[in-house]
Amino acid sequence: MSDRILLGAFAFHPGGAHVTGWRHPSSRPAEHVTIGHHRHIAQAAERGFFDTLFLADGLYFWDRYPSGVDHYGALRPEPFTLLAALSQVTSRIGLAATVSTTYNEPYHVARTIASLDHLSRGRAAWNLVTSRYDEEARNFGGDSHIDHARRYERGREFVDVVNGLLDSWDDDAIRADAASGVFADRAGLHRLDHEGEFFRVRGPLNIARPPQGHPLLFQAGGSESGLELAADTADAVFTRGGSASEVRRFVDDLRARAVRHGRAADAVKIMPSVMPVVGETAADARAEADAILARTPDALILEDVSHQIGQDLSGRDVDVPFDYAEEFDTSNETRSPKPAVERLIADGPATPRDVYSWSYRRQLLTGTGPQIADRLEELSDDGGADGFIVQFPYLPGGIDRFVDHVVPELQRRGRTATTYDDLTLRERFGHARVPDRAHR
Amino acid sequence: MTRDGGLVLGGMVFYPGGEHVTSWRLPGSEPDAYLDVEYYARFAQTLERGGFATLFIADELYVWDRFESGIDHVVNIRTEPFTLLGALSQRTEHIGLAATVSTTYNEPYHVARKLASIDHLSEGRAAWNLVTSASDEEAWNFGRDANLDHAVRYRRGAEFVDVVQGLWDSWDDDAFLYDQQSGYFAKREGLHVLDHRGEFFRVRGPLNIARPPQAHPVLFQAGASEAGRALAGAKAEGVFTLWQDGLAEAQTLYADYKRRAVEHGRDPSSILVLPAVSPVIGDTEADALRQLDEIEELTPDRVSLDLLSHSLQTDLSDRPLDAPFEHVFDETAINQSKSVYESIRRIAAEATTLREVYRTILRRRFLPGTPEQIADHLTERYEQDAADGFMLAFSSIPVSVDRFVDQVVPELERRGVYDREYRGTTLREHLGLDRPTSRFADTVATEVSA
Repeated sequence: MSDRILLGAFAFHPGGAHVTGWRHPSSRPAEHVTIGHHRHIAQAAERGFFDTLFLADGLYFWDRYPSGVDHYGALRPEPFTLLAALSQVTSRIGLAATVSTTYNEPYHVARTIASLDHLSRGRAAWNLVTSRYDEEARNFGGDSHIDHARRYERGREFVDVVNGLLDSWDDDAIRADAASGVFADRAGLHRLDHEGEFFRVRGPLNIARPPQGHPLLFQAGGSESGLELAADTADAVFTRGGSASEVRRFVDDLRARAVRHGRAADAVKIMPSVMPVVGETAADARAEADAILARTPDALILEDVSHQIGQDLSGRDVDVPFDYAEEFDTSNETRSPKPAVERLIADGPATPRDVYSWSYRRQLLTGTGPQIADRLEELSDDGGADGFIVQFPYLPGGIDRFVDHVVPELQRRGRTATTYDDLTLRERFGHARVPDRAHR
Repeated sequence: MTRDGGLVLGGMVFYPGGEHVTSWRLPGSEPDAYLDVEYYARFAQTLERGGFATLFIADELYVWDRFESGIDHVVNIRTEPFTLLGALSQRTEHIGLAATVSTTYNEPYHVARKLASIDHLSEGRAAWNLVTSASDEEAWNFGRDANLDHAVRYRRGAEFVDVVQGLWDSWDDDAFLYDQQSGYFAKREGLHVLDHRGEFFRVRGPLNIARPPQAHPVLFQAGASEAGRALAGAKAEGVFTLWQDGLAEAQTLYADYKRRAVEHGRDPSSILVLPAVSPVIGDTEADALRQLDEIEELTPDRVSLDLLSHSLQTDLSDRPLDAPFEHVFDETAINQSKSVYESIRRIAAEATTLREVYRTILRRRFLPGTPEQIADHLTERYEQDAADGFMLAFSSIPVSVDRFVDQVVPELERRGVYDREYRGTTLREHLGLDRPTSRFADTVATEVSA
């Protein structure tokens, strides 16, 4: 019998994972910050028995290049506020929000996650990021983003503080006994008194322990420090997709790291990112993928590739090959691998449009429902993926297509759920509730 | 000055069971439900049935564990306000959704985003209540040894409002083209980079969400100290004031806020003065007074005493309760709420024992009476220039909320001072407040960096 495949529905740009998803004929960009748009996505995901929603986030508006203002549909509601709203129009799906540990305070984050977990009856999750851009620093009193290594150290401490605050009250500390007047049992309240390198937090937290104990923790960094943090603390990892053998290498590496941190090899569920473009026929799907690419303005291609490879391509023709030469250092933004740069170095000059197209196409899974299901099964069976974070190049139409064409195929093969069991999100991911301090 | 739409009602929650620390013990309370969204949805829906303009979630950033009685007897668990309001935005249709925000322990970029998000998701119903936080326990949860000095935290609060409102103006209302044919999502001249550099904050912007439906979610404020009133006069669109026993004192307070607003060049109707009041509604006056006795009886002496110690920043626990109350009042030694401290000084001047002081403090916030008496009282305050409306701090939830909506609201309507029909769709429309124009309305667009 094959394993269950976990499914997460990814949203970042409200118009879809491709920056110009908002131009898709089915998209309604004027509704991007309304509840109706997001409710449609969440309810579609729940109709397909997705295990969780997964909201990416950034703490800036991308205006480093004019194309960011002109062509990106990069407006979005704040994730926790949105997930709280969505908790009331969904009933079972997980609700994961991205949290920057660089520009937040653990007390606020612990409260907010605990609140979402209570209000949603055990469906909250957070995705730890350390942020990347100087634009984010400048919205929070800084000039430039803190050093890559330091921000992962801060991230590590942040997780400790949040988990410690979540354990402020033992599970049975709240008595609420009106007759005696005892609301809480003193012995069940714990003050954290954390004093670390980055944070001093006394506690206790002013909310009872969440239904999941500790809401599910995602992590997504692909750098050495990111992988170590994930292996040590995460319950699930969202990683770049690729071939089955690339996924297998990642899975084996991360599982070995988890074991080195004293955890079970499967303590971290590994969910590569995939971006399906689903068609009635394979040719339809390819045509749709081409059409999405064709809607990308040339100015956006030039500026996106410039940023991606660290070389100023402004003023060039998108269809004339250029020689790669790194001009500015982006290593403090991300240290995850850069396949486009690797290919430019290996293959020599290419046009900006080609480079953009490589990056776009290497994320795509193009095909019919059964073909995409085949591919997901392969990544799961041969690659060892526990599930997938599914990105939709345009929204909300893209998730409807996936749910209508791919999910039934996965269900037919017994790989994804056909109903929601009465479980918290943690339990659905195969993790037990974290016991309180009195029971460790 | 009576208003076109009649008096305005708001309903607040701080302690989930009601206004008093031990309201959770009263008959009909539901202390197992304080983290259950259904409990708050019912509260909000009841207020909406009564035509309340807004609900308001008060907040603090700590567990009150300075005294053991606080842990034993007080409800120290509550949901984070923005998260709760995000949820309630989908369980209500008309009512305003106001969250308390500490300007001392937050970042304006986060707060601007969250409020803008609630405003979009609720189609124009978001509001915030600016507080500067009072207790050192809060500082200790955010890496500080002590709370900021009172004057400093109000300066920070004023700058915070300026940054948040500036961030909301990042995009003009008509900045978005959404032109799927041409590929132009926004026009550059509709984007404004704030580039704020002040005493407390450096914030570049722009905000990553469109200008909110209300442009600026409504700003409430409750600080009653000189610094708090000055900030309210300059910025607030609604103030929650401490209930005054006498009509004359209430009129003086009302006039003070209006005068301060006028001195800032504002129209007096652009700031609503909403005294906070906790009715205890009885079938008869005697029944109401009996309920008030019950509130007092359910509050252990030790809790009352420790609350007093807290507000005076002095440990009184070793004093005999029936001995004369002695305390040297020195406002300069207080870095918590200066207005609470001042009101205790006034009460102590007329009381003799410690027990009398804390009993008076416990009782003074409540207004006992029949529905008719309470409606008469509120009507008088409204018609006699002492209130534009009221912030109801319910003595128990859900019982006194139901009673107020079912019994007092009809009385107010009968007196012609209240109309439960909503006037518009946004909170600003319910309150008769104008939608602010952008601070960048007359400026040339910021050059986009290239």
